[in-house]
Amino acid sequence: MQDEKVVLDSMSMQRALTRITYEIIEKNKGVGNLILIGIKTRGVYLADRIANRLKKLENTDVPVIKLDITKYRDDQQSVGKVGNVAENTVDITNKNVILVDDVLYTGRTVRAALAAINEIGRPKRINLAVLVDRGHRELPIRADFVGKNIPSSKQETIKVLVSEIDNRDGVEIKQP
Amino acid sequence: MEKRYLILDDGTSFLGEGFGDLSNTTGELIINTDLNGYQEAITDPVYHNQIIMFTQPSIGNIGTNPQNYESIITSAKGIVVNQREDINQSPLKAQNLSEFLRERQIPGIWKIDTRALRQYVQSHHVQKASIVNTNDEHAFDQLTAAVLSNQQIQAVATPKPYLVPGSGMTIVVIDLGLRESIIRQLAKLNCNIIVVPWDTDFKGIISLAPEGVVISSGPGAPEEIDNTVLETIIKLQPCLPLFGIGLGHELIAIANGATVTKMASGVHGNHHPIRQIITNDILYADQSQTYQIERQSIDNNRLIITFVDLINNSIQGLRSRDYPTFSVQFSPEGTSGIDSGLDLFAEFTESILVRRRLNNNEFGI
Repeated sequence: MQDEKVVLDSMSMQRALTRITYEIIEKNKGVGNLILIGIKTRGVYLADRIANRLKKLENTDVPVIKLDITKYRDDQQSVGKVGNVAENTVDITNKNVILVDDVLYTGRTVRAALAAINEIGRPKRINLAVLVDRGHRELPIRADFVGKNIPSSKQETIKVLVSEIDNRDGVEIKQP
Repeated sequence: MEKRYLILDDGTSFLGEGFGDLSNTTGELIINTDLNGYQEAITDPVYHNQIIMFTQPSIGNIGTNPQNYESIITSAKGIVVNQREDINQSPLKAQNLSEFLRERQIPGIWKIDTRALRQYVQSHHVQKASIVNTNDEHAFDQLTAAVLSNQQIQAVATPKPYLVPGSGMTIVVIDLGLRESIIRQLAKLNCNIIVVPWDTDFKGIISLAPEGVVISSGPGAPEEIDNTVLETIIKLQPCLPLFGIGLGHELIAIANGATVTKMASGVHGNHHPIRQIITNDILYADQSQTYQIERQSIDNNRLIITFVDLINNSIQGLRSRDYPTFSVQFSPEGTSGIDSGLDLFAEFTESILVRRRLNNNEFGI
């Protein structure tokens, strides 16, 4: 039997996204030059929510790019994949990019995303925002904005749920 | 029954009956519209030197109990109610309202139509009032001549630092006349809390090595407060996360260039809808507000408005653009039974925790 534990409920998840949004404004000194890039699938929904919050606070539309990193993954399944990394292309040259993902783990997804971003342009700077940092990095990568640090063992599974596709918000941890 | 009068500084008087302490009293008249939480209001240092008039028509229905204090030493000058109840339902060792007031020497007057009085007070800009035995000329002279102290913070804030030990992060609370529920909320999050006197300077705070600083609520006018607090805020902002509440919020606004003015009639209650701008969520919280931040004085390059009162459009929350500083006008503690689900104390400690880990690179590789 699998043991499922909620580590972040809906309220806390909203609060984490709210805080990340404020921190982005603080670190970035405004939102004028900002572009959000969400890593498919859940990173896109989280990026949308941050963009939504920025719009309410600053009355500015911050573009959200949906990034498909499949062909840059370094695991077996993705060898030989082709196609566009982004459906909606916005010029990212000289922009401040915030890369958004749900969970930061080994760092390999983020590395792939950085390679994919390289394909669509050369931004001025890239920062990383994640809802959950669970540790166990295999690459020299760290997040600039973190919703929650969740110490975990490698055997555990951490699942971020977003109401857009999972019918509810939250973060759950599963024991093997 | 003891006949007593509530007299106002415009020369009107209202006949009622005394309860609680039966001495004469004078103070600033404040209208409280809370439906519940009378004990919290009576013990809140924000009401120092004030006579609280409750518009909720029946006060005293659940007695009082030792868990609901906002401060042990009460400093309200009196209370005005319509229907007084001396019920004591609490299973804890408790007192009914009359006993509670008598023991703390707070005069009360009842059988006053407080809802009608509220309309009168608001349309006639009444400031001061007295509860007295006779409504003669002498009593009015005394009322007119009474000068209310502007040293409210000195009267209610702690003169010495003290520790409320916890196993978590160290948080300094600058006491401007704090409500105990601020401490309760921080204690719930296991914070190691150091409460310091209101005039503690930057060096004094930094020497305690806190990870964050709370600037508490308190009584009185922000413009009358010694500049020490403002200087401390200005120096702390770039160094540490700050969280301001009530008076603390007003001072953070002033420290960031905004101006604060006295409202024509204050808001003391929990029935105003407040919008959290970032999420569009509506919440209700306790407000005890006499001063407001001038909207046009806000420098948009320095501050972001985060919460707004939807009835009077007043600014209820601010956040610095440059520093990890945020503040709210209302009470985020959820004291009188209002729980909005909004947990700003958790937001405060979470941001400290995340910053700590990022700075130390504790996580990651």
